[in-house]
Amino acid sequence: MNTMKWLLRREFWEHKGGFVWAPLIAAVIMVVLVAGVVGYGVSSGKMSGDSITVRVGGTEVHRSQMADLATRHSRTEMADVAANNYIAIGAPIFIVLPTVAFFYCLAALYDDRRDRSILFWKSLPISDSTTVLSKLLTALVLAPAITIGIASATAFLILMLAGVAVSAQGVNLFGPVLSNVNLYLSPVYLLAMIPVYVLWALPTVGWLLLVSSWARSKVFLWAVGVPLIAAVLLKWMDYLLALYGATINADWIINNVVETLLLGLIPGAWFMDGGTAMPASAQHGVDLLSVLGASWGSLARPEAWVGAAAGVAMILGAIRLRRWRDEG
Amino acid sequence: MSAVISARNLTKKYGKQTAIDGIDFEIPAGRIVGLIGPNGSGKTTTLKAALGLIPFEGELRVMGLDPRTQRDALMQDVCFIADVAILPRWLKVRDAVDFVAGIHPRFDRSRAERYIANTRLKPEMKVKQMSKGMIVQLHLALVMAIDAKLLVLDEPTLGLDILYRKQFYQNLLEDYFDENKTIVITTHQVEEVEHILTDLMFIRDGKIVLAASMDEVGERYVEVMVPADKVNAANALQPIDQRTVFGKSVMLFDGVSRAQLSALGETRNPSVADLFVATMKGTYA
Repeated sequence: MNTMKWLLRREFWEHKGGFVWAPLIAAVIMVVLVAGVVGYGVSSGKMSGDSITVRVGGTEVHRSQMADLATRHSRTEMADVAANNYIAIGAPIFIVLPTVAFFYCLAALYDDRRDRSILFWKSLPISDSTTVLSKLLTALVLAPAITIGIASATAFLILMLAGVAVSAQGVNLFGPVLSNVNLYLSPVYLLAMIPVYVLWALPTVGWLLLVSSWARSKVFLWAVGVPLIAAVLLKWMDYLLALYGATINADWIINNVVETLLLGLIPGAWFMDGGTAMPASAQHGVDLLSVLGASWGSLARPEAWVGAAAGVAMILGAIRLRRWRDEG
Repeated sequence: MSAVISARNLTKKYGKQTAIDGIDFEIPAGRIVGLIGPNGSGKTTTLKAALGLIPFEGELRVMGLDPRTQRDALMQDVCFIADVAILPRWLKVRDAVDFVAGIHPRFDRSRAERYIANTRLKPEMKVKQMSKGMIVQLHLALVMAIDAKLLVLDEPTLGLDILYRKQFYQNLLEDYFDENKTIVITTHQVEEVEHILTDLMFIRDGKIVLAASMDEVGERYVEVMVPADKVNAANALQPIDQRTVFGKSVMLFDGVSRAQLSALGETRNPSVADLFVATMKGTYA
């Protein structure tokens, strides 16, 4: 247990750049951009006292301030929408995660073989399965948790900036938004999706770790090239077979196998290709709780477990290779 | 426990190439053994087998354990420095000490820190900012603070300057080695280790050609400066090696009594390097 704690810390030392700085920089850029727009708008008065004017034939017949339009009821509703959906603002940060995690997994069991520092790690009393497990936990649990933390904080900050913007128009939403329980539950809902993410991402992580611990060089080429070339070959065979009226169902294999191997690290991959239906958008946008429910529901699909089992098998392969690969 | 490492018919093949050819040897506890051989003779392969880094055939026990199946238990008591300068480039001195302290039950933190304090290493320094010599100092600080029963050093000082090399072996001998520990060293720089070795093992083409304690080596091998008029008499005793220095023949004898040889000329103990060269004659021919 203690060993695992230190191994995770070790991963963190080495990959702080990818897992912390990259999403943090994305977050800072987003916040600064929004703050700049809001700050400019508020200070130049472009956002204040905006009124809605209705003219008929050039004659003004009605004029009202935003503040008057927003009734008490609609304010609660706006706050509700905001508290339920603000986390979606963090989406760009969730795009950083699969990219970083993909390259992390590829490098995880390869880099220390390339620079031979594996001989240092292997001189310590750490089993190869513990080492590989620490990389797995880093990619599948630690990295998503850090991303969720940063994305939630970013979304919250931007929500507050939006609050400043609308309050400049005389609509103060801080009270109803901050007292809305969904504001605080949203990050928790995201964290509760991690187990689902782990299961769906296992085949990709397993594949990448396997290549990472097997390839003597050019890990990226092996990891991406092999599935892609396989996909092309399958397509071609399918085309040839079609001349004789047969098929190997290449599209099905490509969708289910190749995508599972390469795209599993994308958050919400289980919604791709309509595999699991995204909950219908309600009046107040998509409710995160129903997304959470649908995500857990995706585990009823057998593909989830077949993929996870394949992932585990590839991880076992990676451990075995790590144990016996002769580094010369 | 008698032997720290014992090998019976240890064999390792890479495809058709035989790296280790059915060797037998025993290394008792409390020794400093020099495993010496030319490039490609199988010394690193032997050590890798003992450290459980590669599969092999035959029988090999390291502290009673099979390195193939019991590596995790074995590494509690064994430590090694394989090759120079292999610490990860991003590692900080402070983190390295913390990490090993965190995972190694036999690590003595204060010892490592004391050793580091005597170098120019700073806690915030990263490996990529260090010279090769400094990396080895850090590695040695970590390893010396581990109370391992067996320490394996594979070319630990290759490419270091003489100051670092001398200091390395001095630290090892003065601050680390005691009768409960065993050290196995492979190196090309025979001259620098010969005074610290207790045992010698020469390996050639995957076979052990000499395994003896330094005392036995001293008794068995004698070098004689033979003047020109006694060369024929000396040749009759079948020297294993012969070279000429300042017009005099220097001959190396194996197992000829010292009394008999002193009649031929001035006798002395050969250096390990001379012995090595004589034993390995024709390796690269």
